[in-house]
Amino acid sequence: MSAPAPETAIRARGLTRRFGSFLAVDAVSFEVERGEIFGYLGANGAGKSTTIRMLCGLLEPSEGEATVAGHDVRSSPDAVKSSIGYMSQKFSLYLDLPVAENLAFFGGAYGLSGRALRGRVDEVLELAGLGALRRAETGSLPGGIRQRVALAGAILHRPRIVFLDEPTAGVDPVSRRDFWALIRRLAAEGTTVFVTTHYLDEAEYCRRIGLMADGRLVALDSPAALKREWVPDRVFLVRGRELPLERLRSTPGVRAAEPFGAALHLRADPAAWDAARLAALLRQAGGVDVAVDAVEPSLEDVFLAAVGSGKGGAP
Amino acid sequence: MSGAPGGLRTALVQLLAVVRKEIRQTVRDRRVMFLLVVAPLLQTVIFGFAIDFQVDRIPVAVADLDRTEASREHARRLLADGTLRRAADATSAEEADGMLDRNRAAAAVIFPPRFGADLDAGRTARVQVLVDGTDPNQATVAASAVSRYFGEVGQALARERAAAAGRPLPGTIRVTPRIAYNPSLRSAPFMVPGVLVMVLLIITTIVTAMGLSREREMGTLEQVMVTPIRPLVLLLGKLLPFAAIGLFDVLLVLSAGGWIFDLPFRGPLAVLGVATLLYLLVTLSLGLLISTVSRTQQQSFLAGFLVLQPALLLSGVATPIRAMPDWLQAVTLLNPVRWFIEVVRANLLRGADFADLWPRLLILLVLGLALLSAATMRFRKRLQ
Ligand SMILES: Nc1ncnc2c1ncn2[C@@H]1O[C@H](COP(=O)(O)OP(=O)(O)O)[C@@H](O)[C@H]1O
Ligand SMILES: [Mg+2]
Repeated sequence: MSAPAPETAIRARGLTRRFGSFLAVDAVSFEVERGEIFGYLGANGAGKSTTIRMLCGLLEPSEGEATVAGHDVRSSPDAVKSSIGYMSQKFSLYLDLPVAENLAFFGGAYGLSGRALRGRVDEVLELAGLGALRRAETGSLPGGIRQRVALAGAILHRPRIVFLDEPTAGVDPVSRRDFWALIRRLAAEGTTVFVTTHYLDEAEYCRRIGLMADGRLVALDSPAALKREWVPDRVFLVRGRELPLERLRSTPGVRAAEPFGAALHLRADPAAWDAARLAALLRQAGGVDVAVDAVEPSLEDVFLAAVGSGKGGAP
Repeated sequence: MSGAPGGLRTALVQLLAVVRKEIRQTVRDRRVMFLLVVAPLLQTVIFGFAIDFQVDRIPVAVADLDRTEASREHARRLLADGTLRRAADATSAEEADGMLDRNRAAAAVIFPPRFGADLDAGRTARVQVLVDGTDPNQATVAASAVSRYFGEVGQALARERAAAAGRPLPGTIRVTPRIAYNPSLRSAPFMVPGVLVMVLLIITTIVTAMGLSREREMGTLEQVMVTPIRPLVLLLGKLLPFAAIGLFDVLLVLSAGGWIFDLPFRGPLAVLGVATLLYLLVTLSLGLLISTVSRTQQQSFLAGFLVLQPALLLSGVATPIRAMPDWLQAVTLLNPVRWFIEVVRANLLRGADFADLWPRLLILLVLGLALLSAATMRFRKRLQ
């Protein structure tokens, strides 16, 4: 019997967790909509895993509240557990068991049995592209494949929400891409995905991003909105020879100019400058073979602006 | 999935999933299988043969400085019954003493010069006996064999003289002990139940403690705890396969005991079965409890030994509880190992049945349930 699926999959209000006197998560509030891929970003120790573990009912919040799939994590952790899938940061299936037996065990722990269990195990193996590996000992598989096994284990019971804690850490780029294809497929089928990552390129796949720094949620929006908000300047890539770096830096409306490989990275007030006018200025000041292109600011720029370079930099 | 977990059927499905997983993992791990199956057998055989409280043929050095008919005759008769064995002859008391030092003999008997002459003259004849006290049990046996022999000689002499002097014969007391249940005083029937108790305790406690700690260490416990499975169901699922293995070990040790050491089976085996199940409830819960206070497998292992050693020492398995100081005897009342070994020995050696043993079984049940609740409670708390 399913409760009606709320439009808000996850809601956190003032969610706080202390370890002793140390504040690991500091009054975090956000909402995640149903079917959304929500990215949770932050440096090591920012409090990402702690937030997830509170949302999964594994760790009691010190303060604040959260509802997941409409259930309060404090008062009905069991109902929460039945509605979510969780992939912890550390690989945590049984390394000494074959893939299919791992899945059969976790399926059983979710209450699946008999034909329903066998059918579902086959289904998730197929979905994760693991059909040929069902009898392989889990510990013998490479990292990228293990992560797919873990994801398969997390969705056995068709959870409405999955929490993935750094699912692609230490995984090669091809496997990362495959893994993200799986995540997007899940989301397309209506599963809400709450994912933490170190990789800023992956964050671009997320519909919205929450940025954590030292236990606080410092920014929360879609990647494009975050860029507009945190990097209001226009960013230009300037190529050429004899570029007058010092002259540029003292030009009104130019906020920063840094060497970037053989070229220059330049941030300027969008009201005062565009590519053509910058090129004209540079040629006039002695530049040769000048080419100026406006470029999209990256999430890394956002991260640096939001978190500040003094706090450990990009994740 | 439904939002409501609960339900007996779901709990049963979850329990079976855990049991099956534990069995698969155990069967795949050769070291654990060895520990569970081969080790108990080895222990039974080794302990059964090695631990023998019976003491005989104690090596004795004889220094006959008298060299008379009388001294030779008494030396021969002293060593005749097999408790003592003539290991060496010495020509002086110092030499005999040195033989004790060098471990060539465990006791020395010295007949001083004029031993025979004193006897003949009706004076008090002296015999000197040196005993190596390193092994108190053996020392006691050797000393008492010598005093018994010369005590009898003294009595005989007293009667002879009384008769010769025409006085009435003094009365004598003869003690004839009858030893019940284990008349030949063999050690194995006493020791095999001890081995059983020890092996079950060590193996089942350590294996469960380390098993759960391993899950914590590997992170698999967190993955399990994010499923709606209840702690009690999880813990029971982890206990059941090892309870089965424990029962199997009991059969193994008892068969080996019966076959090799003639262990008697005097009581109803059902009592033994029930007692074993209760004891396993205790040992397995203890293992779980230990794992909830340990962070790693290594800590579990060490904590296990810290708990098991006093539990064995204070159980009466090897040393009698009656020999302990009162306050320590009081402590043993809380020791489940004590109650189980009493049940096993009473059942096997004396033929005690449920009517005799139910209070002890009840104590085991209470201690087992207390440990299981403590383990479940600690386990829940640890998750926070
Ligand atoms: N069980 C714990 N006990 C004490 N401190 C903890 C515990 N778990 C996490 N922390 C601390 O809380 C902070 C946040 O940790 P975490 O949520 O794991 O960060 P992230 O996942 O963002 O790397 C870290 O400083 C970490 O050391
Ligand atoms: Mg983390």
